[in-house]
Amino acid sequence: MAESEEEVDVLVQRVVKDITNAFKRNPNIDEIGVIPCPEARYNRSPIVLVENKLGVESWCVKFLLPYVHNKLLLYRQRKHWLERDALVDITCTVLLLNPDFTTAWNVRKELLQCGVLNPEKDLYLGKLALTKFPKSPETWIHRRWVLQQILHQFSAVDVKQPHQGEAEQADAERGQELSEHLARTLHQEMKVCSEAACRYPSNYNAWSHRIWVLQHLAKGNVKVFHDELSSMRLWVSMHVSDHSGFHYRQFLLKELITELWQAPAGTTTASSQHQSSTGSSSSPLHQSHSQANGESPGAEAAAEEERQLSFSTLIQLFYAEMELCSDLIQSFPGHETLWSHRRNVFYLWQNLRREPHQCSSNGGVESVHLSDSDPVLPEVEAQSAAGQKEAVNGQRNEPMEVDGASLPHPRDSKRLKRGVPLPAPPALPSEYSFVNSILDRCTNPDQRRFALAYKKWLDTVIGQQP
Amino acid sequence: MKLYSLSILHKGPTKANLLKAAYDLSSFSFFQRSSVQEFMTFTSALIVERTTQGSRASVKEQEYLCHVYVRNDNLGAVVIADTEYPQRVCFTLLDKVLEEFSRQVDSIDWPSGNPDTINYKALDIHLSKYQNPREADAMTKVQAELDETKIILHNTMESLLERGEKLDDLVAKSEHLGNQSKAFYKTARKQNSCCEIM
Repeated sequence: MAESEEEVDVLVQRVVKDITNAFKRNPNIDEIGVIPCPEARYNRSPIVLVENKLGVESWCVKFLLPYVHNKLLLYRQRKHWLERDALVDITCTVLLLNPDFTTAWNVRKELLQCGVLNPEKDLYLGKLALTKFPKSPETWIHRRWVLQQILHQFSAVDVKQPHQGEAEQADAERGQELSEHLARTLHQEMKVCSEAACRYPSNYNAWSHRIWVLQHLAKGNVKVFHDELSSMRLWVSMHVSDHSGFHYRQFLLKELITELWQAPAGTTTASSQHQSSTGSSSSPLHQSHSQANGESPGAEAAAEEERQLSFSTLIQLFYAEMELCSDLIQSFPGHETLWSHRRNVFYLWQNLRREPHQCSSNGGVESVHLSDSDPVLPEVEAQSAAGQKEAVNGQRNEPMEVDGASLPHPRDSKRLKRGVPLPAPPALPSEYSFVNSILDRCTNPDQRRFALAYKKWLDTVIGQQP
Repeated sequence: MKLYSLSILHKGPTKANLLKAAYDLSSFSFFQRSSVQEFMTFTSALIVERTTQGSRASVKEQEYLCHVYVRNDNLGAVVIADTEYPQRVCFTLLDKVLEEFSRQVDSIDWPSGNPDTINYKALDIHLSKYQNPREADAMTKVQAELDETKIILHNTMESLLERGEKLDDLVAKSEHLGNQSKAFYKTARKQNSCCEIM
């Protein structure tokens, strides 16, 4: 076995070369892994390529890693010179086996800045490292740095645009190209995050990266936020104890509140126009934004109408989220994550109802009041107001006497008769009747504990709000 | 939530005999899948061997739950799931496949059959359909909870073993496990993290 220094040297050079060649032979490698294999097999490379999977036999890792680490550190201390190509290959090898080696990523940052590497290559390397180490913080951090480089390139092009009158069309084409590129990058990042989230439960690093990406690559793009909310539905339904996944939904809801409700109409329009290049222009919301943008005499009325539309969108979102949450709590008893999600969503909703005036000072639009006497949404509000009085009068037990199945939405039939299209937004009485219906028929001790805690939270936190 | 394996075995006087198995190992790293599969087979056989006739049990092993049902006619089935997957649905699935299997495969073939000779194809379909419990099982929401009193719960594999018996020895002797899996088990054991393997 290779033990002496020269032998290790030969071995490592061979392994680095084999890995580089594997990538040349198959540019579609999509996973890396270590093959458990305590002994070297005679005259066989420890690098194995099966289908699109690159495997490293475990016996060589203990020789490989210290050697390559050492070599890179000597290079950083300027004690040992390495050519650029050698640097690219060595950092690739070491990062696939130990992606939290910050120095190696830093060497790659320098290579990227002087144009030896392109950003796509580094995103690809990071993606592969994440198949083996889905949490690796350094990989996610480097990924964000690379994405920022890409964004810088885009903004540099944007600035140039207005000055070149002649080459306008060429620029427009290039702009189109870039925005397509941006959309592709966004899609790719979402995919990388999803894969990492599936490989490791409650993968905080993956989910917070996902949030960062939305904030930087899809800022203000309401359509992307809507799409994310609906495409993650199945995922959270299949991962009912993954708190990070549910937290991501809370983030999406918050962003949608900001975009649809709290942002003054003008800003939202600007940001949606800015983002329309990434393919969001089909959203009906954006169309209504652009209508409101004109300074015609009807603008105020249009803005008012738009706000109502936004608000009914939000009601539908929150209704759907609470429905999803109820459904999951009933189907999968005893998961604290689901109850905590319910708290967060309900709290968000309560705050939205209580602080509707934030926007009123902007743009001169008369605020849409959400108080109980609100004329804008009389049906919905009158219903929840009636419900609240019920709760205040201490008739919280009343729903328990009714059949459990019909409890969560006692107002459904009434609403249908009146022909009001909006679902009932979450309200305190409906929350109480939901918890009571769970407590009525639950034997799972955990479920019972979570339900009681939720009820207590309703009593002490929500019930005490002015 | 995830189902990893579903197997049907016959409980003989000393050993359990594997009749048919289906696996979904897509969530494991590519190069680990063969070892993981061997360990799931090994574990399923061991659990059936240690479960008395006419009983149901759930065995917890790291982040996995192995649910077993051995009928009075010695036909048994094991499903290996993660801890999120609803236990009640697992036992419904076990009842269902055992019922179907015993209707389709003559009981004469049970003691000596093996996955190649047994003609029962539905296991893979069941495994993939039940990955989403709410689609597969209409009762999930109505009857989310289970009468747990009838099910024995073991908190580790070790609690299945007899006095003086060691899991390491059983792994070393097992015919379900290849050399690579055994080597892998040893290293994982040394690092005190056998969850690495499965």
